[in-house]
Amino acid sequence: MVGDCALTVEPAGLYVHVPFCRSKCRYCGFYSVPTAGWDGTGVPSRISPRLGAPPNAMHRVWEPYTGRLVAAMLRELDRYEGVQFRTAYVGGGSPTALPPEQLLGLARRIAERLEQVEEFTVECNPGQVDAELLADLRRAGVNRLSFGAQSFRAAELELLGRRHTVEEIGRAVELARRAGFDNVGLDLIFAIPDSTLADWQYSVEAAIGLDVQHISAYSLSFEPGTVFDVWRRNGRLAPVDEELDRAMYEWVIDRLGQVGLPQYEISNFARPGFGCRHNLGYWANRPYVGIGPGAASYWQGDRVTHDSNMEWYMAAVESGQKIPGAVERLGWEDRICETAVLSLRTRAGIDLAAFEHKTGCDLLRTFAATIRRYCDLGLMEITGCAVRLTEQALPIADSILCDFAALE
Amino acid sequence: MDIQHIRNFSIIAHIDHGKSTLADRMLELTGTITAREAKDQILDSMDIERERGITIKASGVTMEYEYAGEGYMLNLIDTPGHVDFHYEVSRALTACEGALLVVDASQGIQAQTLANAYLATEAGAEILGVINKVDLAAAQPDLVAEEIEHVLGIRKNECFRISAKTGMGVRELLDAVCELLPPPADRSEEPLRALIYDSHYDDYRGVICYVRVVSGSLKPRQKIRLMRLGSTYQITELGKFRPDMRPVEQLGTGEVGYVIANIRNLGDVRIGDTITDDARPAPDPLKGYQPPMQMVFSDFYPGNNTEYPRLRAAFERLALNDASFSFVPQNSQALGFGFRCGFLGLLHMEIIQERLERENDIDVVQTAPTVSYEVLMSDGTVQRIDSPSELPDRTKVEEIREPFVRLEIITTTDTIGGVMTLAESRRCKLVKTDYLNPTRVMLDYKAPLAEIVYDFYDQIKGISHGYATMNYEFTGFEAGDLVKIDILVNHTPVEALSLIVHRSNAEARGRKLIIKLRRAIPRHQFEIPLQVAIGGKIIARETIKAYRKDVTAKLYGGDITRKMKVLKKQKEGKKRMKSVGSVEIPQEAFMSILDTSD
Ligand SMILES: Nc1nc2c(ncn2[C@@H]2O[C@H](COP(=O)(O)OP(=O)(O)O)[C@@H](O)[C@H]2O)c(=O)[nH]1
Ligand code: SF4
Repeated sequence: MVGDCALTVEPAGLYVHVPFCRSKCRYCGFYSVPTAGWDGTGVPSRISPRLGAPPNAMHRVWEPYTGRLVAAMLRELDRYEGVQFRTAYVGGGSPTALPPEQLLGLARRIAERLEQVEEFTVECNPGQVDAELLADLRRAGVNRLSFGAQSFRAAELELLGRRHTVEEIGRAVELARRAGFDNVGLDLIFAIPDSTLADWQYSVEAAIGLDVQHISAYSLSFEPGTVFDVWRRNGRLAPVDEELDRAMYEWVIDRLGQVGLPQYEISNFARPGFGCRHNLGYWANRPYVGIGPGAASYWQGDRVTHDSNMEWYMAAVESGQKIPGAVERLGWEDRICETAVLSLRTRAGIDLAAFEHKTGCDLLRTFAATIRRYCDLGLMEITGCAVRLTEQALPIADSILCDFAALE
Repeated sequence: MDIQHIRNFSIIAHIDHGKSTLADRMLELTGTITAREAKDQILDSMDIERERGITIKASGVTMEYEYAGEGYMLNLIDTPGHVDFHYEVSRALTACEGALLVVDASQGIQAQTLANAYLATEAGAEILGVINKVDLAAAQPDLVAEEIEHVLGIRKNECFRISAKTGMGVRELLDAVCELLPPPADRSEEPLRALIYDSHYDDYRGVICYVRVVSGSLKPRQKIRLMRLGSTYQITELGKFRPDMRPVEQLGTGEVGYVIANIRNLGDVRIGDTITDDARPAPDPLKGYQPPMQMVFSDFYPGNNTEYPRLRAAFERLALNDASFSFVPQNSQALGFGFRCGFLGLLHMEIIQERLERENDIDVVQTAPTVSYEVLMSDGTVQRIDSPSELPDRTKVEEIREPFVRLEIITTTDTIGGVMTLAESRRCKLVKTDYLNPTRVMLDYKAPLAEIVYDFYDQIKGISHGYATMNYEFTGFEAGDLVKIDILVNHTPVEALSLIVHRSNAEARGRKLIIKLRRAIPRHQFEIPLQVAIGGKIIARETIKAYRKDVTAKLYGGDITRKMKVLKKQKEGKKRMKSVGSVEIPQEAFMSILDTSD
C-alpha cells in the first residue's frame, strides 16, 4: 500500500521498555515489576514499596531473570533488521534497575542500530546511578539522560513512594555533567495531594538551579490500580483543587519561559534546540518501534501493543512466535485525527503543509467548523502556516482535542 | 352468513387485567388457533409486537362459533398493543356493537376501566361486565361486582365471572356474546360504506386497510373511492383475519376484514375514513370516529441533520395507523430542522416515542412536552398556539387561556392525603370524592392540563405505592394569569426552553429550571450564564463554571491508542447534544424543563 511505504520512509524512533523497578511508586501506572523483596523464583508479586533488601544485594537474585529478558528484547530488535532508527529511548520502568552490565549491553546493541544517531536517551533513577555507570553509558553512545526527580520536597518524595532523596537528584545531575552529558532532563510532578503552590515553586526553582536542558512537568493523575487510586477512593488522599492545579500549571509555564526553558509541549519545556526529538516523533505521528513487554509500536500503519506480561513475551520471542498483544490497523480517518490530536499538543501546533503531506487532506477544510469555533473563542489560533492552541487553551486541552478525535 | 348471526365486539380492560389472555382463550375455544399456537403467541408477544405481521396486530379476528345449534361469525376487534389508550379504544368501538369490559378480580376498577366504559357507552355499544382472574387466591369477585354496580350501573349479578387463564367461564361468555349482544344493522341494500379503523404498511403490497363494512358490500376488483380525498383504487385482494390473512370473495354488511388496493401513498389513507363504491358512491361518509383533540406537543429533531428524511419517513408510517398523531416541519434556531408533533396526551407521546426508537432506530432530540393554549388578542380574535415560542407580543395579548381537564384518580383511602396535597400544589380543584368501597376512593378534579402533563402520574404512583391510577379528559380552555418564562443560555434566549406558567409559581419554576439546566449541561471551556427572564426582566441567574483543568499530562507512544479512544468517546457524547451558539446542550436538558420535582 502506498500509504504504508510513505510511513516507513519517515524517520523512525526506537523505544525500549525495561519493565523493572526497585519498588513500585505509589502513583505509577506504568507496567513495571518491583524487584525489591523478590526471591527470583518466579514473576514477583505485588509488594509494599517499603520492603526490600539493599539494591546491590538484590542484584544477584534476579540477575538471571533480567538477563533473560534483556536477551529476549535484543532478539525482538533483530526482527527489525535493516530498519534505520534516528532516535532511541530506553525507558520503563527503571532501566537503572538492571544490573549495570546488562544495561550497558543493551545500550551498545541499540547504538549499533543508530547509524545517523540524532538522540539516544536513557531514563535514570537519581538514586540508582554512579559515575562509572554514567561514563560507560556515554561511551556506549547514549547522549541524553532523563532523571525522574519528581519533587525537591522530601515529604513529597516520601508520599509518592520514591526511593531516592532530594540530595541524590543534584548529585545525579552533577555526575551526568561530569560524564560528558550536555543534554539532561528532569521530570517533575505537580498537584501532589496536600502540596501548595509554594511547594511547587520550590521544586521548580530547585530544578532550574541545576541548570538542565529539559524539564517535564506533569500534573499528577490517579491511574487505575495504583496505591494512590485506592487511597483516593477510600478517602485517604484527595486530589488538589482544580484551581490550584491550574495555577501551578500556569505558573510553571510562565516561570520556565522566563528562564529560557520555553514550553514546547503540554508538559515539556526545553532550552531552544533541546526538545526531546524522540518524543517529538510521537507528536508528529511518525512511526516508532517499541521493544519489550507492554511496549507499543506504530509501525506500517498498525498500532501494536504488547501484552504486559513478561513470561508470555519471553516465551514468544524465544520460540520465534508472534508476541501476544493488541493490533489495531489505522484507517485513513484515524490517521488524520491522530495526527491532528497529537500535533496540537505541541506549542508549534499543526504545520499545515506537513499535515497535508502526511494525510493528503487540508486541515483547515477538514476541521473547518471546529477550528473556526475555537478561534472565535480565543482557544485556537492560526499562525502563518500552522494551527495551534492558545496559551489559554492549554489547561483544558482535552476538551478541545476531543473535537479532533473524529471527523466533523 | 346472514347479518343476524354476526357479532362485532371488543374487549376493553385496564392494562394487565387479562385482555390478551381472554382473546387467546376465545381464539382457542372457537378453533381459530390451536392451543399450541396460542401458547407461542403469548410467549412471543414481545417479538410479535415488533414485527408487522398480521397475527400480531390481530386487529380484527374472525371466529366461527356454534351457539344453540346455530353458526355465528364473531369478529373480535382488538386494539393493537396499548389497551389503555382511549382513542384507540374508541376507534375499535366505532366498528362494534358490543364490548366486554374486563376487570381484574383482585384489583377492581381502575381509572382506565372507567374511561373505557364511558367510551363504550358513548359509542352506543352494549357492555357486558366481566370479572376476570377469579382463580386467584386474592380474588374478591363479590367486592368487584359491587364496585361495578356502584360505579357503572351494571347489575352485579349480571357480571360474568371467569378465569381467562384456566378458561373457566369463557364458553358461557361466548354464548352471552351471541345471545346478548346485538347484530349489526342490516344496510346491505344501501351504497357501500366501509369504515377504515386501522391500517398498516406492507413493503410489497402497500397499505393494508382494516375495515368494517357498515352498508353495502366489498368485492375483489371493485373500484373504490376513499371519501376524504376522493382518490380511487381497484381492490386487488379482500380478506379476513383468521388470524392470518385469508382472501375471501366478498365482505358483506356487518363484516370485518382487510382491503388491499395497491395504495402506495401513506398519506392517502386516514384512519376513520370511509371507503365507498366509485360507481355508486354513498352521499355522505360515515361519522368515522372523531379523533380527539391534540393537547400535548413536543418537537422532535434528528440527532444528526442528515437523518431528517428518515425521520420524516418514520413519522409518515406512524401517522398511518394513528390518525391522532400529527407532525409538521419545524425549524428552530437552536435545534435546526425537525418536526413539531401533536399528541392526545402524555402516554400517547410516550408510545410514539417508543415506536420511533424501536421500529426505526433513529436518534432524536426531543423537547419537553407543552400543552396548547388559546390566546385572546387585543383585536378580539382568538389564536391557538401549541408552543410558548408562538406566543404573540405581550402588548397584543388580551388574555391567555389554558386547557383544563376532568381528572379522575382512584387510590386507596390511606394514601388520599398525599395525593390531595400533590393535586393542590398543581392547581387542581377537587370536585367530588366518591368512595368505591371502604378502602378505595375516586377523586374527581378539575385540573389545568399543563400541571399534570409531565411527571404528575409518576408522582401519584410514588405517593400511592404504585396503587393509584388516573385518567383525564379535556373539558375546555379557561383564562388564567399566565406568563412566559424565557431561558437565556450564554445570553442567547433558547426558545425550546421557554415555558408558559401560572404567575403564582413562575419565579419558583424558573429557578428550579435553571438549577436543573446547570446540572444537565456539561461544563464548557468558558463560563456559561443561565438566566430566567419574564417579559425581558431577568429574575434569576445560575452559572455553569468553566473547565479549569482538563488535559492529559503524559501522552507518549504507549498512551496513544487508549487516549484516542477516550477522546473519541468524549466527542461522541458531544454529538448527541445540540449546539446553541457555542454551548452544547444535551437532550436531558430539554426534557428537564417540565420536571417540577426537586
Ligand atoms: N391467575 C390468572 N392470571 C391471569 C388471568 N388472566 C390473565 N392473567 C395474567 O395476567 C397477566 C396480564 O394478562 P394479559 O392478558 O397480558 O393482560 P392485558 O394487558 O390486559 O392484555 C398475565 O400474566 C396473565 O397470565 C386469569 O384469569 N387468572
Ligand atoms: S520508578 Fe518510575 S516506572 Fe518505576 S514505579 Fe516509580 S514511577 Fe513507576
